[in-house]
Amino acid sequence: MKPQKVEKSRQLGAELVIPVMAIAFTLYYFSTIWNSPWTAQVSAFLVGGILLLVCGIFILNCVRMLANREGSLGFSTLVNRDDIRTGRIGFLGATLGFCVLIDHLGFTLTTFLFLLVSMAILGKGRRLAMITGLAAVISVAGWALFIWAFDTRFPRGWFEITMEALLSNG
Amino acid sequence: MGETATILTEVFFETIAYWWVIVPTIFLGLIVGGIPGFSAANTIIILMPLTLAMDLETGIVFMVSLYCAARMGAGIPAILVNIPGTAGAAATPLDGYPMAKAGKGQQALSISFVASCIGGLLTTIIALATMPILARVGFYMHSVEMIVVMLFGISLIASIAAQDLLKGLIAGFFGLMIGSIGTDVVYATPRGTMGFLELYDGVPLIPALVGLFAVSEAFIIIEKRVIISEDAEPKHPNWHDTIEGVGIALKRWWHIVWTSVIGLAIGVVPGAGASIASFVAYQQSRTYSKTPEKYGTGHPEGLIAPESANNGVTSGTLVPLLVLGIPGGATAAIMLVVMQFHGVSFGPALFENQPKVGYGMFMAMAVSYLIMFLTILPLSRYMSHVTTIPTIYLAPLIISFTLVGGFVPREYMFDMYLALCFGVLGYIARRTGYHVAAILIGVILGPLLERYFLLALKKSDGDVFVLFSSTLGNILWVSLFLSLMLPIILKWRRARRNEEVPAE
Repeated sequence: MKPQKVEKSRQLGAELVIPVMAIAFTLYYFSTIWNSPWTAQVSAFLVGGILLLVCGIFILNCVRMLANREGSLGFSTLVNRDDIRTGRIGFLGATLGFCVLIDHLGFTLTTFLFLLVSMAILGKGRRLAMITGLAAVISVAGWALFIWAFDTRFPRGWFEITMEALLSNG
Repeated sequence: MGETATILTEVFFETIAYWWVIVPTIFLGLIVGGIPGFSAANTIIILMPLTLAMDLETGIVFMVSLYCAARMGAGIPAILVNIPGTAGAAATPLDGYPMAKAGKGQQALSISFVASCIGGLLTTIIALATMPILARVGFYMHSVEMIVVMLFGISLIASIAAQDLLKGLIAGFFGLMIGSIGTDVVYATPRGTMGFLELYDGVPLIPALVGLFAVSEAFIIIEKRVIISEDAEPKHPNWHDTIEGVGIALKRWWHIVWTSVIGLAIGVVPGAGASIASFVAYQQSRTYSKTPEKYGTGHPEGLIAPESANNGVTSGTLVPLLVLGIPGGATAAIMLVVMQFHGVSFGPALFENQPKVGYGMFMAMAVSYLIMFLTILPLSRYMSHVTTIPTIYLAPLIISFTLVGGFVPREYMFDMYLALCFGVLGYIARRTGYHVAAILIGVILGPLLERYFLLALKKSDGDVFVLFSSTLGNILWVSLFLSLMLPIILKWRRARRNEEVPAE
């Protein structure tokens, strides 16, 4: 007889994150419309009421599962050691950096830096020369297509302004 | 009749002669359609000086081709990397992406192209033939009827919830709640805005789309070396898979026909868009399918329905524009501006005074779909290779180009941070078994539903029975009820039949 595969218990702590966020947001939303005209309230109370009800049922269900030892309050499906191993945390940091820097450095430079850093993190520092070249080609191609050719409203910085001046002067 | 046929023939050959405009525009449309934030409407605005400098015929051919190609292009990243280029393609990854992950990217792209081209071509012909009737649809669709149409789309949440009822409902209603952020439509009272002025107009759709799909997907795919499943057979570009995809789509020709007609019918209603059409078509396709349990697992019909419907919308939006001068969507509104610049006056007289312009728009659409079919289909062999690009290169590319796409429509840095917040929400949802598509349906349809609901209540002084006050509305209510009950009845009958079989 083959050994039966032991099913991993459900990580209910992680599964409760969305319902908790939903409840918190709904209560906050209700607080903003408490003294508003009925037109601002009617649909929100209807939708929010159903959402609170469904979340309540889900939480009760989780409590029942915890009591029956069918799950634990763990978060390992959401956050675990693999997030460091795969470079996910570093990638998240690079993404945050991208959002912050793009307003100051413009699209092209920030994209180059972001691609370089994030590819290096995800590639665990291997093939750095190739990654640098790739990041440079992609960011310049992005500038050429979206900013130079189509004049798209991308954030502009030192590189874009310099290139614009260079190109307009012939 | 004979005169119209002569004009149509003339216009057809004249449009074909513009192939040199259509072919490059198709490729431009595929690019702008594929990146969230870049729609056909944005591109026509960006290229407005060029469009206005063209003569009228060239301008029409350019705008219409771009519109069709962008609509089709939005489905490509939806299938290959689970990132819909526009909200109209939000239902496409439900079955397209599982196909791509299983190593059937080529087939999925071929199915999508065939469904889009045939759907678009067919609805163009239908729209041309039934223009006077279709133009009146907009007059009959008031707030009450629109509420039921929205509910058809929202009922897709219930289908998604079928896999895990509570989680599906939480995701859908959470999306509806997020969609309610912004000022109310009557007194402009700010609600749930957390003090951000940028949210007074509601949650912008592109950052929500970018975050829920693109950002969260980028953080998920880095766990694997490539998108395609490790156990999927590695393949070189080949004609066999492309032709197989064409065969799968053509075998389901009737499915393409009726789902594209749904798109056409929704497209002629000003304000209704491709997202509603694709959600409704997907939901209806699943409802009347003999194998509803296969939806969401890479079922061709689940891919055909949204793709043919959202391309059916393209021809639908032209009807109120040409016959009534009412644009059915953002792109049609920009087309109106460009054509008015060239001295075109819209309305029924257009087909008497400038028949070549009126018929020319439909013909440009038909010819674009024909040329698109011939030019794009062979490329599916190479496009599908996106799924084999190592994720260490693909994920940063997705993040950089989609996040900045979130910035483009309103030029607020806030929208990039908002996309990031939606990305975190989408990531948590994916990792814990909640469906991001259900959240997005709520975000898209929630504000629309509320707007029509409040309009109906205002008209009736708060009497909720106004929802059952029109004949067409009541017919739609009955259809909605039947479409919700039918899967349950069919499931029950199937279960009973299965119980009876072993007993025999």
